[in-house]
Amino acid sequence: MTQHLSSTALVRNGVKDLHAEADIPSGYGKTESYLLPKDPSWMFLFWEITPETINYVRNQYGSDTLAEARTIIRLHDVTGVEAFNGSNALKHYDMPVIFEARSWYINAPEAGHAYIADIGYLTENGLFILVTRSNMIALPPGKVSDIIDDKWMIVEADFQKLLKLAGADYIGLGASERMQVVDQRWKLTELPNSYLPSSSVNSSWSSFALHTAKNEQDEDIWLQADAEIIIYGSASKNAIVTINGKEVQLKDGKFSFRQHLSAGDVIDMPIHARNAKGDKTRHITIKALREQGK
Amino acid sequence: MGQEKGYLALVLHAHLPFIKHPEYPDFLEEDWFYEAMVETYIPLLNVFENLTAEGTDFRLTMSLTPPLCNMMEDPLLIERFRHYLNQRVELSGKEIERTKNTEFYDVAKMYYDKFRRYQDLFENRYHGHVLTGFKKFQDMGKLEIITCCATHGYLPLMVHKESVHAQIKTAVNDYRLRFGRSPRGIWLAECAYNPGDDKFLREQGIRFFFTESHGVLHGTPRPKYGIYAPVYCPQTGVAAFARDMESAQQVWSAESGYPGDPRYREFYRDLGYDLPYDYIKPYLHSDGIRRNIGMKYHKITGKVALDQKQPYNPRDAREVAATHAGNFMFNRQKQIEYLSTLVDRKPLVVSMYDAELYGHWWYEGIEFLEYLFKKIYHDQKDIKLITPMEYLEMYPENQMVQPSMSSWGDKGYHDVWLNSGNDWIYRHLIKSAERMVELTNKFPHANGLLKRALNQLARELVLMQSSDWAFLMTTGTAKEYSTKRTKDHVKRFNELYEQIQGNRIDEKYVYDLEQRDSIFQDIDYNVYSTAEKDAVLAKY
Repeated sequence: MTQHLSSTALVRNGVKDLHAEADIPSGYGKTESYLLPKDPSWMFLFWEITPETINYVRNQYGSDTLAEARTIIRLHDVTGVEAFNGSNALKHYDMPVIFEARSWYINAPEAGHAYIADIGYLTENGLFILVTRSNMIALPPGKVSDIIDDKWMIVEADFQKLLKLAGADYIGLGASERMQVVDQRWKLTELPNSYLPSSSVNSSWSSFALHTAKNEQDEDIWLQADAEIIIYGSASKNAIVTINGKEVQLKDGKFSFRQHLSAGDVIDMPIHARNAKGDKTRHITIKALREQGK
Repeated sequence: MGQEKGYLALVLHAHLPFIKHPEYPDFLEEDWFYEAMVETYIPLLNVFENLTAEGTDFRLTMSLTPPLCNMMEDPLLIERFRHYLNQRVELSGKEIERTKNTEFYDVAKMYYDKFRRYQDLFENRYHGHVLTGFKKFQDMGKLEIITCCATHGYLPLMVHKESVHAQIKTAVNDYRLRFGRSPRGIWLAECAYNPGDDKFLREQGIRFFFTESHGVLHGTPRPKYGIYAPVYCPQTGVAAFARDMESAQQVWSAESGYPGDPRYREFYRDLGYDLPYDYIKPYLHSDGIRRNIGMKYHKITGKVALDQKQPYNPRDAREVAATHAGNFMFNRQKQIEYLSTLVDRKPLVVSMYDAELYGHWWYEGIEFLEYLFKKIYHDQKDIKLITPMEYLEMYPENQMVQPSMSSWGDKGYHDVWLNSGNDWIYRHLIKSAERMVELTNKFPHANGLLKRALNQLARELVLMQSSDWAFLMTTGTAKEYSTKRTKDHVKRFNELYEQIQGNRIDEKYVYDLEQRDSIFQDIDYNVYSTAEKDAVLAKY
């Protein structure tokens, strides 16, 4: 990967960017959570839970209760609910989560519905202890509406033709091509290393064509599938854990790691744990493959 | 209404993120602006000038985003662009001599003529201010300039609606300053629409916006005309125009798109690499590293290595552009003819593109547009170019449809701006917005230094919210720069926030930020007032 030249290489005459070094905080010291829409079937939830909040809940409910409780995300379907009070959702769905993950992608049970996510403890006797509640979001339907307007009627067969013309079967696909081209215009500054006058580099447009052909787009049938793999687990508190050779941070003995799987990717992730002395080890390997056939 | 069967609305989205680094004498990413100026924005103005001079009428809708307008009016960037352009004129002048009696003479001459012409327009017609050029054609009724979210902020991922209100209101105020009237339309950044955001558009007097096809196709109830007529948002009556995929694909498609023609200019074979080092060095950046300088002498040729590319022939390329323009028009005629058998009014096809595709990426795209305008005006009577407002005036009655959440990004929603590579930014973007609202509500009538600090706080927030940073993190290009920009603005925001909260505002710090992050000189932090946001929501 090209070392992207920005503030570093052009610094001259001892001009120093006063703002270059410091980093930004990992959190803001307030227990809260936010839910964002991603597409008709996915949402993104992120949160911060402070030690003070955990202590408060522990004092309220007792350490023993919490020790045996599971930590979960409780997703409420609040479609059409005027004022959500914690118990008037149409349905709710529970999923285990570790607080330390700090964010999670949630698969929406139904497109077009509205959701609120709670994070908290679910005790052994089924009591839910709320730690933080998100904002509400409404997801898009992801399909043509069934509702027909009396004032604006159209012959069904003609409407189907209009849909086909508008590319209703290909929603979102043309956009990926577009994005790659738009992306080219940012690439200027990276050319020094990618500019290789050898036979491996073809014209930008033709290599671009090869690239997008991976979408397997065809007039009659197309398929697109991507994956994001979340690897999570726990280890002895003082263990040193590596995933694919890179050390991961343990928080209370837990870890999580997210990896995108693109076309043709093979993921082979050896996970190693060793104790501080280095004389005892444990290994687990997770493998995944995105294979494309015809 | 004439005898035409339907209409074509061409829409170009011109945008660059606000990139200005006065702290460096020379900054690489500023080139994005200079390149787009000389390859897209001024060449487009040149087309408008030519068409007007020869009496060809045309209609075009174009967004000029607030960051772009701010850069076009920034004295430092104007000065640096002037230098950039002078250098191109100088180098291409030398090149005419050097290439005499070679196969590259024609293309060298082409660059020289173009750069001279653009320099003449820039200096003598627009006096360094290209916006006056765009304004002129808007005032003539040929060009509809629309605005965009203040910093191209991605609205559906903003939790605090004060942020949405601020993005729209700040943009509209800036537009008034530049163009002397209110904008009638807006390009929502990335065409990202969230149901209900139209209330904030309506409040600012905006009459229309654009969505990706499924924004309207997946609307409720189902849209009678599909995407071939606008719909009105139910509570506000703001019109949504959806993008036509067929005409988009014709240009973008990897297999059949026009820009891949072998006779067109090859983007990656650049003089910055080809010419002897000592000769080209004065035209490189101060670090002396070879990079693209924007002059390219070869054509795409075919699937061959870069060193096998053949010389570019400007005349051949022009002919191809004319042929492609004819093909594009022919396809629109056929499309509209067919559509008019399905719908009971004159259909509208909305073709939307990034402006920088034309000229910068697809070099001959500018000539393509010029030919297209001429052919549509002179060669046929089936279709006519139109602006969204003209169509609404012709058909004021439209179906009420609530458009669906959508964007024109990959997969049609928010994936590009929200994925495992960039999701970390939202913790900071949302927290900063919350804090901005908090301070605005706390100090509604600030004066003096406190007011300056709050206004600068608002600038840091809107700059942090540019969707470009998340986009660049996803595509992997300029990831380092976009990550740094996000963090810089977060850090500056937090520092200022602490200073304001602690009643210890450092005037020098505020001044320093005012110089660097100087977008929206007239910003008013009160756009983040909760009362103002609530009033809008209560109204519609």
